[in-house]
Amino acid sequence: MSGFEFSGLTASFGGERVIGPLSLDVREGERIALVGKSGAGKSTLIKLIHERVDGHSSLVPQDLGLVNALPVFHNVFMGQLDAHAAWYNTLTLIRPFRKDKDAVRQLLTELAMADKFWTPTASLSGGQRQRVAIARAIYRQSNLLLADEPISALDGPMAHLVMKALSQRFTTSVIALHDVEMALAYSTRVVGIQDGQIALDEASDRLTAADITPLY
Amino acid sequence: MYLSPTARISLLFLAIAVSALFFADIAITTANPWRDLGQFFLGVATPDFFSTEGLATALLRTVAFAFVGVALGAACGFLLSLVYRFYPVRMFCAFIRAIHELFWALIFLQFFGFHPLTGVLAIAIPYSGIFAKVYSEILEESDPGPGRLLPPGTGVVSAFLYARIPDCWVQMRTYTAYRLECGLRSSAILGFVGLPTLGFYLETSFSQGLYSEAGAMLIMFYVLIATIPLWVKPKLLPIYVLSAPFFLGEGMPIVWGNVERFFTEDIIPAPIRNGEGLADLGAWFNDLMLNEALPGIWNTVLLTQIALVATGILALLAFPLISNHFGGPVRRTSGHVFLVIARSTPEYILAYILLQLWGPSMLPAAVALALHNGGIIGHLIGRQTNTVLLRPDAPTGFNRYSWELVPRVYRSFLAFLFYRWEIIMRETAILGILGIYTLGLYVDSAIQQIRFDRAMVLILITALLNIGIDILGRYIRRKLALQTMPTC
Amino acid sequence: MAMSFIRKLMLSSLIVLIPFAASAQTFVFTAIPDEDESKLVERFRGIADYLQEELDVEVKYIPVKSYAAAISAFRNNQVQLAWFGGLSGVQARALVPGSEALAQGVEDEAFYNYFIAHKSTGLEMSDTLPEGVRGKTFTFGSKGSTSGRLIPEYHIRNIFNEAPEDVFSRVGFSGNHTRTLRLVEAGTYEVGAINYAVWEKELENGNINTDDVKVIWKTPAYPNYQWSIRGDIDERYGDGFMDKVREALLAMDDPELLESFPRSGFIPTSNENYEPIRSVAEQIGILD
Repeated sequence: MSGFEFSGLTASFGGERVIGPLSLDVREGERIALVGKSGAGKSTLIKLIHERVDGHSSLVPQDLGLVNALPVFHNVFMGQLDAHAAWYNTLTLIRPFRKDKDAVRQLLTELAMADKFWTPTASLSGGQRQRVAIARAIYRQSNLLLADEPISALDGPMAHLVMKALSQRFTTSVIALHDVEMALAYSTRVVGIQDGQIALDEASDRLTAADITPLY
Repeated sequence: MYLSPTARISLLFLAIAVSALFFADIAITTANPWRDLGQFFLGVATPDFFSTEGLATALLRTVAFAFVGVALGAACGFLLSLVYRFYPVRMFCAFIRAIHELFWALIFLQFFGFHPLTGVLAIAIPYSGIFAKVYSEILEESDPGPGRLLPPGTGVVSAFLYARIPDCWVQMRTYTAYRLECGLRSSAILGFVGLPTLGFYLETSFSQGLYSEAGAMLIMFYVLIATIPLWVKPKLLPIYVLSAPFFLGEGMPIVWGNVERFFTEDIIPAPIRNGEGLADLGAWFNDLMLNEALPGIWNTVLLTQIALVATGILALLAFPLISNHFGGPVRRTSGHVFLVIARSTPEYILAYILLQLWGPSMLPAAVALALHNGGIIGHLIGRQTNTVLLRPDAPTGFNRYSWELVPRVYRSFLAFLFYRWEIIMRETAILGILGIYTLGLYVDSAIQQIRFDRAMVLILITALLNIGIDILGRYIRRKLALQTMPTC
Repeated sequence: MAMSFIRKLMLSSLIVLIPFAASAQTFVFTAIPDEDESKLVERFRGIADYLQEELDVEVKYIPVKSYAAAISAFRNNQVQLAWFGGLSGVQARALVPGSEALAQGVEDEAFYNYFIAHKSTGLEMSDTLPEGVRGKTFTFGSKGSTSGRLIPEYHIRNIFNEAPEDVFSRVGFSGNHTRTLRLVEAGTYEVGAINYAVWEKELENGNINTDDVKVIWKTPAYPNYQWSIRGDIDERYGDGFMDKVREALLAMDDPELLESFPRSGFIPTSNENYEPIRSVAEQIGILD
């Protein structure tokens, strides 16, 4: 699945509606940046989309969802657990196969993380953990990327590196970003969220930073 | 006057225990209890490590039974924890852990005889029930996040191994290691019914008044438990577990016909076995209830309530011994030694010793239960106070104890106490084997008379009583919103 | 790591069951633990050596912690021969069809008991159990013992027409005869019932302080200890094995071995000789 069209998206929390009802359609090849101030409902919208596509997407949630006790390799490998039989996965837990190691190592090299291959994710820094979650999402090899603030803990050059990798790997993506410049640089379309509603929906090349700032 | 719910429940239990004292059989019946106690301490102070050829073997067997029993219990408990959400499984686990290791041993002795399997199963079965419960709680509390992120279509096994187990691994390992310590205690007391572990030799030496020999065994046992962190290493564990089965001793061969006979004849109530009809069965059951079960239950409950409150009082008195907020390093070190001894000595052994010295009544049993359980809770609470940061101008001495510390730890103190309620009752019942008139006495008598049908009914009643107390304890803890971690 | 450990655990649990294949045709016997264990072990290791020589098979003694354990081991065919008391023998033979009482000690034909009392009671030797024991504390020996439980209880009920718990202020079970002696000597219990043979032996060895503890009554005689053997013994160890065992026991004349029991020698006996014990046990309600 890559493109989709949803309407009547709603979510409530504690009896209070935090998002919607809103409609969103995304066509294949579109790279959407979700912008808006914190609490506007970006994370909720990403979760909703993830549910609507029945998990058929690569997700990078804000809390990353890493298994802290496992090393980087296994956390990344988890992106493809569905591709192998149980015995294969079990064996990998004890002693990984060469081809999987090579594939994961290549990916980690791209994200400048190859030296942390066997480090348990519990002992990584915030930025490193974020890149592990991103590597897992890429390794998942789905066409659709859903990411919630994937570069919040990364510094400038690293953030660009990651964003480039993501745009190369995924044909379609919805990424929540609070950095307006990054949003404009790596998206084809910007969707602004305010109070749980879509307040802005425009192609990126027709926007400037000044158009987005009022949302914050 | 307004009383908080925790204070109200404390006073209620205190009142119950005080009124129980009026009905309980509390006395020192020996002529010279203090002289005997003195002789015992003299024996411990002058241990004789070389008199018994069996001491080293006994320790080895004690460790071997503990390892095999706990490993088997952990493996079965783990499997059970995977299906623990099903009600029948939960009931089954509650039932098998409500029966004390010694009762299991007494049951298996009747058909496996002195085969190592008797001791292994006596530990493994109740431990499976406990492991199943605790493991499932740990698994339930693991972070569900990674599991939700897995690609759809991921197999159940893969999902479990990747997203669940790693997260719980450390906690499960810590708990299993802790259970190993409990397993050593269980293994030691199995000797009292004839298995070749420490209790066997301890009983022999003690009953003959060879206190120096008994002292040596106790000291070796404390050393064994206190040095667990030194010799139980994760890397060595597989070696221990693999080699332990070969150190259980030979025992006697199993005759499988005995097993069948036990289940198809021995435990069938006598009137049914002899084809005497329902009326006789009613009379049989009535007689059992009236003359054995009810007095047994009454005494078990009395002693449990007294021991529970005594445990609480002792824990509150003992925790300052190891608290950083009181005393110097010397006092704390001796406090640690006292609490380690109190909590590493199984209640059964403590009660056995005190019964020998003071004569049979509920008093030595209550003191033994209070010492052991109070030692455990005192240790945990004491450690907890060490994480409390007091303001620089906090009061000192008794005011610090009563105003700053007790109020802060009282809720977790109660949580531990009510958690141990069921454990205390299980032990109280078993202490009957030593001659106190609790349920264990009647179970033991029935077994001595080769009436396993009666023994099984009494064991069943004991288990139900334990399950009842467990439910009540949990209800009170939930009502008061008390949380705790499992202890044994 | 997680998995490898769990795997090792499971594997080793399977191995647990393997090392205990049945051992060869060893002839195993046990005895009721009526005295201090070190004494029992010493005594019966001697007997094991003796029997091994006489019978030409490997003979092993295993100590047990209770009368019931001795009976169960006999019943479960984990021991083939046992030195039982009167009651435990009756119980055991009732459970094993074909089993027989082989031999008893010369003294066991007419065994008797002593009731003993601590000096603080002021009780003296008399012709019957004195009324003065009423309200005192009292200890039996082991729950399954003939001389420690069955016979004393029978006489207490007979003389006072009441259950022991109603006659005495506190009733306990010391565990064995040696301990009964020690507990009454120390005053833990004021009155106790003890096997006369243990009393005489301890007295002879100078282990009793006769200032502190006295005999106050001697019971009438009854049949007691005997060697009992399983009925299927010939099938397992060859025809005529039972007779060989009987002969070996009757022929025992090493004074040191006999002294350890203490018996002056062994004489033949039969199951019928223990009928009185069975009927007493039934009256008291120990046997169904």
